Amino acid sequence: MSDVVLALAINGLVWGLIIALIALGLSIIFGLLDIINVAHGDLFMVGTVGGLAVTVATGSFWLALVLVPVLGFVLGLVLERVVIRPTIRQAALTIVTTFGLSMMLQEAVRATYGAQPRRMAPPIEGTVPLFGIDYDVYRIAAALFAALALAGFFLFLQRTKLGTWIRAVRHDPETATALGIPVARICGITFALGTAMAALGGVIAAPITTVEFRTGVDILPFCFMAVVIGGLGNLQGTVAAAVLLAVMEGVVTSVSDPTVARIVSLAVMSGVLLFRPHGLFAGATR
Amino acid sequence: MSGGAAAWIGRGGLALLGAALLAVPFVLPELGYGFWVNIVTEILIWSLLAASVNLLFGYVGLLSFGQALFFGFGMYGATLAVIHWEAGFWTGLLAGTLAATAMAAVAGALAVRLTWHYFAIITVVFSLIFYFAAMSNKTLTGGDDGLSFSAPAVFDMAGVTVTLADPLAQYFSVLGVVAACYAIMGVVVRSPLGLAFAAVRENDRRARLIGIDVYRTRLVAFVLAGALAGVSGALFAFFGRYASASYMVYHVSGEAVVWAIVGGIGTLLGPLFGTALLIVFRELVSTVWENYLFAVGGLTVLVVMFAPLGLAGLWRGALGRLTAPRAAPAEAPADPVAPSADARAVPGGR
Repeated sequence: MSDVVLALAINGLVWGLIIALIALGLSIIFGLLDIINVAHGDLFMVGTVGGLAVTVATGSFWLALVLVPVLGFVLGLVLERVVIRPTIRQAALTIVTTFGLSMMLQEAVRATYGAQPRRMAPPIEGTVPLFGIDYDVYRIAAALFAALALAGFFLFLQRTKLGTWIRAVRHDPETATALGIPVARICGITFALGTAMAALGGVIAAPITTVEFRTGVDILPFCFMAVVIGGLGNLQGTVAAAVLLAVMEGVVTSVSDPTVARIVSLAVMSGVLLFRPHGLFAGATR
Repeated sequence: MSGGAAAWIGRGGLALLGAALLAVPFVLPELGYGFWVNIVTEILIWSLLAASVNLLFGYVGLLSFGQALFFGFGMYGATLAVIHWEAGFWTGLLAGTLAATAMAAVAGALAVRLTWHYFAIITVVFSLIFYFAAMSNKTLTGGDDGLSFSAPAVFDMAGVTVTLADPLAQYFSVLGVVAACYAIMGVVVRSPLGLAFAAVRENDRRARLIGIDVYRTRLVAFVLAGALAGVSGALFAFFGRYASASYMVYHVSGEAVVWAIVGGIGTLLGPLFGTALLIVFRELVSTVWENYLFAVGGLTVLVVMFAPLGLAGLWRGALGRLTAPRAAPAEAPADPVAPSADARAVPGGR
């Protein structure tokens, strides 16, 4: 029994790190552009499908791991320029624009890739004994990839000029403009970065989830929960909340079923929204 | 002559719309488009869900992404009343509406404490909680497969029984209920309560200063919107003789938001036209293209980009150009609290 709890908790940790990566993309877009990107889950889905397609075409998962996020970045640049920027002044309406975008992405994938859910063979086979259970090596590798990407992103944000600019625009767009920071371009790059992170999360998750055009619909609420519970715009909080939620869902699943686990998370989220609207960690990081 | 030419065109348009809707079940089958009577019925029903989004977003400024929750309660309220209590159409409709209203009162008491993004998110969260609960509680809701029932009676008196299986009875029951809902909405938004809605939307701090209870005003709007969504859900259950938890998913709420915005928020009949445009577009494209949802998504994005005020905005613009020289001065001295984007130039507006 305790083995099952442990296994599901570890599963939760692995998922939590991947979700953290995707939710972080959602969070930077929200923090900088003030838009609720309903299409974010579908950008993750495009990442899983892209990961599978590139792996099948080239025979190398590692190439997909590099190539798909880069393509995701380019896709993000294009989407921001064509769809988001013209509607950014009506902040509420961007929910509708991204909802339309979500339909288009899902349908585009269904038209080209098909509606059939597929599974992808993990690039690293085998299991390791972990606390008395045999655990997939790839899942551990996936957690490491996600953790590395998260660390890399925070380093980028803190240590590079572009990262500093992004933080400056987030903090005060008007002053940033006055200081000569190209605010419009920073917004574009931020959206593209968020998209690339969703796509990277997609490639990493592809071997441990089903690959189909609807995957994003399930992942989106979870990402929003992480962003809200972590505190809107609080990036470290988002990561912590994603891991916390996923582990909690894993543990609740071991005594009940996944639906109950999801309802518990949603109830936690309602409580946070109503009583701690700036997130569970408000004041802890700033 | 107080309203000027624009108002007369609006009134004429409304009369024309009413006449067209009354003629639908007689004319369309004659022309060989009998199938479209059902589409029109569906548009009428779904437009109430869009109208409930509009009541909140357009009139009180709260964007709800969770109206499917109340649609679902309306749907199951009606269905369970028919299955367990052998209710007829009207009792079932009442049961569904009451269920949705009660749920909206509970959810609203919590949700309207928040505004803006937080409000949008908490409405999704509430609807997701009940979506998952309904999906897993198969004995009560039938889950994804849903529950079905046979057409109940609309009229059962003096030995005469008319059920929904009669196409004319079904169409006119739906049309009557939908028209009544729009009429009630029209009265509400012109009443002192409607002015309070507008005041809260335009500036909640100022509204509070002139003595409006902002929380209660928002709650009243939320409950009314929930009731509208409930009527929509109950009617849809009767239309399909079926209820399914899958209609409570947030995608349904999202579609209602799209319909409302495409039609034009803050206008009484905008959501009806938005729903009509998108459903007719979907029906037409789906006959020629399997991936029609791509086109629907594209149309949504294009409308937001090029006509952010929706069809009502386009109509108002065209009407303004047509009647500007004469009508504009007469319209100018409006109510000081009147919102900038209100129902004025829409069919049926003042």
